[in-house]
Amino acid sequence: MIDYDALLNTASTMGVRMLESGAEAYRVEDSLQRLCRAYGVDTCEIFAIPSLLIVSMCDPEGHSHTRVRRLYHRGTDLHQVDRLNSLCREVCRDTPPFPQVDGALARLAAEPGYPPAMQLAGYALVAAFFTPLFGGGLADALCALAAGTVIGLLKLPMDRIRANGFFVNTICSMAAALVAIAGVRLGVGQQLDKIIIGAFMGLVPGVAITNFMRDILAGDLFSGITKLAESLLTATAIALGAGIALSLARAVGGVV
Amino acid sequence: MMAFLTDFLLPCLYATMACVAFCLILNQRGLLLMVSSLGGGIAWGVCLLCAFTGSDIVQYFAGAVAVAIYAEIMARLLKAPATGFLVVGILPFVPGGGIYYTMEYCLSGDTQLFLSTGIHTFGVAGAVAVGLLLVSSLVRLLLGPANTARKEPKP
Repeated sequence: MIDYDALLNTASTMGVRMLESGAEAYRVEDSLQRLCRAYGVDTCEIFAIPSLLIVSMCDPEGHSHTRVRRLYHRGTDLHQVDRLNSLCREVCRDTPPFPQVDGALARLAAEPGYPPAMQLAGYALVAAFFTPLFGGGLADALCALAAGTVIGLLKLPMDRIRANGFFVNTICSMAAALVAIAGVRLGVGQQLDKIIIGAFMGLVPGVAITNFMRDILAGDLFSGITKLAESLLTATAIALGAGIALSLARAVGGVV
Repeated sequence: MMAFLTDFLLPCLYATMACVAFCLILNQRGLLLMVSSLGGGIAWGVCLLCAFTGSDIVQYFAGAVAVAIYAEIMARLLKAPATGFLVVGILPFVPGGGIYYTMEYCLSGDTQLFLSTGIHTFGVAGAVAVGLLLVSSLVRLLLGPANTARKEPKP
């Protein structure tokens, strides 16, 4: 006898955790389908988009069991995607009792990510390494390091309080551009464009561009278009922020 | 030899290190961090090798194909989701420069350059996306639909 309620809860929690960590829709649907089959339910239907997960199954008497989960926040955590993927494989192979799976999911969710200082270093170093890649010199890389640090200092706390992504990107890009302009004005940096582009790279929608293509390819047009819109919005926000900064600088102090 | 070092190896190293830094933001860890970052460096090398074509759209396309092939191989070797390798490795090919220059031409009021740069940026992003799509589709085609559990259940 299959405990449909427990299966629904466990499966939907795993799906929600995967979506929250930035897994593609098809991966979530595929994993949950395997999970339900492993526990002997063949009538499972799953629908996942970045903001919603529906898991529904039918028992032999013809009763439907459904769980709908609404997602409000989504980030990218590649470590969690990888671990959830392995956990799902293990569960499908061994079919342990549900409380055990729930425990493993809770332990995984409690695993801390990189400490904030490391993430800050990430933003700073992305900028510092991309600037020479696009043709900037050592001094430009130093300016980009400062601009990237400012991006991290603004973005990390704002992401924590779950501020609107468009707003966060605009502010971060504006601040980074202002730092870059200051660096060039002070005579440290030489090429303003290379510094700003390097600093941008910590904000660009690389994840959305990658995943939207994979979702569209798998036939999940809804998820794909959501992510396409997200990447276009992010690009607009970044351009807007730097644009504001450049206009401000030009208005205040002439040609940059 | 010196030119090879500064024009080829050094940029690849920068790309790899930038990807390592990006892994800190995306919480990619341990072995996967190293392998996925290396993918970004290798793909940048492929992109540079295609410089003879004279078209950056072709270069970016080749780079994206390299990232995707690398990701599919590593995903199977290390039993990890291909997405992780793709997301990190594709970072150097996201057209941040295009976004910037488009914005700058828009500000300076040069409509002609604004439009052409904007369309070119779209072209680059499209080339990267198509490169990814091509490899993933081929892999699916070769490994067959048996690789997915998703299908319509019996009524």
